Amino acid sequence: MMSLRDLVACHWSARRIQRYLDADPSAILPPQEITRLEAHLAVCERCSQLTAEHRALRRALESWSGAVTPDEASLTRLRSVVDELSRQDRS
Amino acid sequence: MSGKRDEPPSGSDPVSQPSAPPDTRAEAFREHVEPELEVMLRVALSLTGRRPDAEDLLQESLVRAYKALDRFDGRHPRAWLLTIVRHTHLNMHRRQRPGTLADWDALGDPRPAFGANRQASAEDTVLDGTLDNQLHDAIRELSPKFRAVLILVDVQDLSYAEAAATLGIPVGTVMSRLSRARDRIRRRLGVQTLTPGRS
Repeated sequence: MMSLRDLVACHWSARRIQRYLDADPSAILPPQEITRLEAHLAVCERCSQLTAEHRALRRALESWSGAVTPDEASLTRLRSVVDELSRQDRS
Repeated sequence: MSGKRDEPPSGSDPVSQPSAPPDTRAEAFREHVEPELEVMLRVALSLTGRRPDAEDLLQESLVRAYKALDRFDGRHPRAWLLTIVRHTHLNMHRRQRPGTLADWDALGDPRPAFGANRQASAEDTVLDGTLDNQLHDAIRELSPKFRAVLILVDVQDLSYAEAAATLGIPVGTVMSRLSRARDRIRRRLGVQTLTPGRS
């Protein structure tokens, strides 16, 4: 059975795992929190499993076939629009 | 491409600057816009769900960006451009709910995308085979506002700040919606599907 201290540590960690994995510049974890989280993940199977699931989900979403992606012909036409706007200013 | 390396926008109001000479102005426009065209188009596709509409939206957005160039302070061009795309889209489609993307039926395009450049590793191939259909269903079940942030950040690889600029919502709202969307999908897919070798 988990102690109250372990429960608190897991709760604290679970709230930071996504920010830790994202490392987004808007919400970087402070270095001391990263150290604390990594220390917890090294010894907690439950939080380590949660982290693995988030990593797997992120990989799956990155390569998801349902993503709508641009085609080269559209990009070429849009580059022409940029060219045209730039030319207008020069003339 | 990764939007995560970009700094977040510092504010919503661009700083006014004196008009640049035409040549400099044209060069500045090209310098700011060309590197962002692909991400702008991906976001426009997510917003509209249809390729012709996405191109129309971007053409209009580019014209507006060019007109607004003198009021742009030169920082965070991607967030600036995505904000213009959002405003243009709202003007063109006033009935769309704010903070959401196109209807699911338009978004969930199962066809292999022309021009897509995705080098699948062996691991990705396994993941695709096991997860892809379940992932599709799980994303479909999300409410539009949760689906929007998940697609922009995790599928289209925008940063929190860029997704916030695209949807017109605060960064904190992006983070909370993203967290809940991921948790819902993670629970829906289950441990065995996501991490079969571990559990």
